[in-house]
Amino acid sequence: MHTEDVRRMPTPVSYAVLLAILLVAAVLALSSGAYPVAIEDLLKMMAGITPNDPTAELVLWDIRMPRLLLGLLTGAVLAVSGALLQGLFRNPLADPGLIGVSSGAALAAVAVIVLGGSGLASWTALAGRWSLPLAAFIGGSVTTLLAWRIASRQGQTSVALLLLAGIAINAIAGAGTGLLTFYADDNALRSLTFWTMGSLAHARWEDLWLAGPWMLITLIIAPLLARPLDAFLLGEPVAGHMGYSTAWVKRGAIALAALGVGAAVAVTGLIGFVGLVIPHLLRQIFGAGHRLLLPACALGGGALLVLADCLARVVVAPAELPIGLMMALLGGPFFLMLLMRNRFA
Amino acid sequence: MQLRKIIGLAAILILGWAGAKAAAEPRIVSADGAITETIVALHATDLLVGVDTTSQYPPQVIAGLPKIGYLRALPLEGVLSLKPTRLITTEEAGPDVTLDGLGEAGVDVVELPVAWDVDAALERIRRVGDLVDQQDQANELANRMAAAIDKVQTSMANKTDARVLVLLAAGDHGVMLAGKETAADALLETLGLRNALDDVSGYKPASREALLVADPDAIVIAEARPGQFQPADWPALIHLKAWEDGHRVTANAMLLLGFGPRLPEAMQTIAAIVPESTAANDTAHAH
Repeated sequence: MHTEDVRRMPTPVSYAVLLAILLVAAVLALSSGAYPVAIEDLLKMMAGITPNDPTAELVLWDIRMPRLLLGLLTGAVLAVSGALLQGLFRNPLADPGLIGVSSGAALAAVAVIVLGGSGLASWTALAGRWSLPLAAFIGGSVTTLLAWRIASRQGQTSVALLLLAGIAINAIAGAGTGLLTFYADDNALRSLTFWTMGSLAHARWEDLWLAGPWMLITLIIAPLLARPLDAFLLGEPVAGHMGYSTAWVKRGAIALAALGVGAAVAVTGLIGFVGLVIPHLLRQIFGAGHRLLLPACALGGGALLVLADCLARVVVAPAELPIGLMMALLGGPFFLMLLMRNRFA
Repeated sequence: MQLRKIIGLAAILILGWAGAKAAAEPRIVSADGAITETIVALHATDLLVGVDTTSQYPPQVIAGLPKIGYLRALPLEGVLSLKPTRLITTEEAGPDVTLDGLGEAGVDVVELPVAWDVDAALERIRRVGDLVDQQDQANELANRMAAAIDKVQTSMANKTDARVLVLLAAGDHGVMLAGKETAADALLETLGLRNALDDVSGYKPASREALLVADPDAIVIAEARPGQFQPADWPALIHLKAWEDGHRVTANAMLLLGFGPRLPEAMQTIAAIVPESTAANDTAHAH
């Protein structure tokens, strides 16, 4: 890790900067969008007064607010899960996708989209409007559990084996998704394409009530793993000697990542890059210690996703870009720049 | 005094009339290529304040209108920002969150049925006529279309039972075969023609061998954009007898598959390339 190369700001200042960015992002998210809302109206609504334009109320409370909160939670959870897994695997390239949670969620979601009216009709009837997010969540959990079981023997889990199992499971789930795509009709094909590009555009309060608690659990419990993960950086045996139950650290990190990411993916679709880039970037500012890194990731991930979402909704207004696309467009070049600067520093 | 009263009264009347007209003037967003075409054909273009990305014809009219994105992924805030009074679309539109939200915001959301046969297409044009208050124009258009369609169908008397292969060159999906349960198949049906791929359902990636096996009597290529289909990339296709004999046509996908006001033109496009059935043809496919 190149933490020593970068001149660090004092930690409280760095946190303050992150918080400020988050705040700016939130204000932008509430005030920008295709529908013009006067500043005066925004302030009125914040104070609980009915605005001049009644539609503005719907735009603010039913569109932008749930979208902002879902963006903050999703970004935070993806970044924190990325940091957890990078710590666990001791590899800065690890991201939540590696343990199979995204591909499993995608497989289940695509299955519901393609077979919802035929093979899975009873599931659609049973779960109603939640059939897709619930299925995605279950799919993500099942694949993660599977990777975990494959990597575990006699109470011991091999992190290397987990990584390989994750890769194999991703391939199989990808093939399953491909097969379903092949059988999909025109309608389903388009829906699933949009789902795999991820979006916050259709966030509703119900989505927050459904997925929010699980994401919050991840965010609240993750800091408890900070010290043991720091010990993990020195190697698993060292962590064991330091008195940490390595089995529980591994279980905890993976369960939290699967829970949070599973819930996020279930309501937003696939959003890549946040989990990889944010921990990587913030490690250069806050150092590799997880006690500082995990909260920073929560703030930074939320801010980045919300900012990307602001752009996604204004660049082609009144249409919108899928946010997964936006992340790759913004994140890719930025990440490359970061790598190059480190290499030549 | 009298004069001022009169002027005042007149002013009130004029303002009131202008206000009423402004309030009554519907602002329409159309999310479906064929519906947009219909609105334009009914000379109600002035009412349009936005269209979706499937609306591409006529280009000179569409170019100036805001695009709200794709019909199955309509953005709630984006549509609202155009302050429409009515959204006209089909059952294919989505997501439901957006449609429900528009309803809550007081927009009149009208989801017309998908029209994959002649009667439904004509009925849909009359429905659009009601929605844009051009009933007479719509009736006239529908009657004109019905007559043209009748003419095309009559010209098919010796051509039914021909097997037609339809390829769709669209977007990044590459070239797709149009099987059963597609708009392409429905279009063949309006002409009493048979789909050369009756064991395929939906749009499927084209395989060169499947083209050879299909051995159709005529070939139709629907392009999303002009020049998208490169025959040189498909040697299996251009060596088919139908291709060599010129029983082929390349046309715009929206023209062929929209089932809008250009349906007679779409039918005529295909009718023109279908060969008359001969005894030789019949025995060739009797096995």
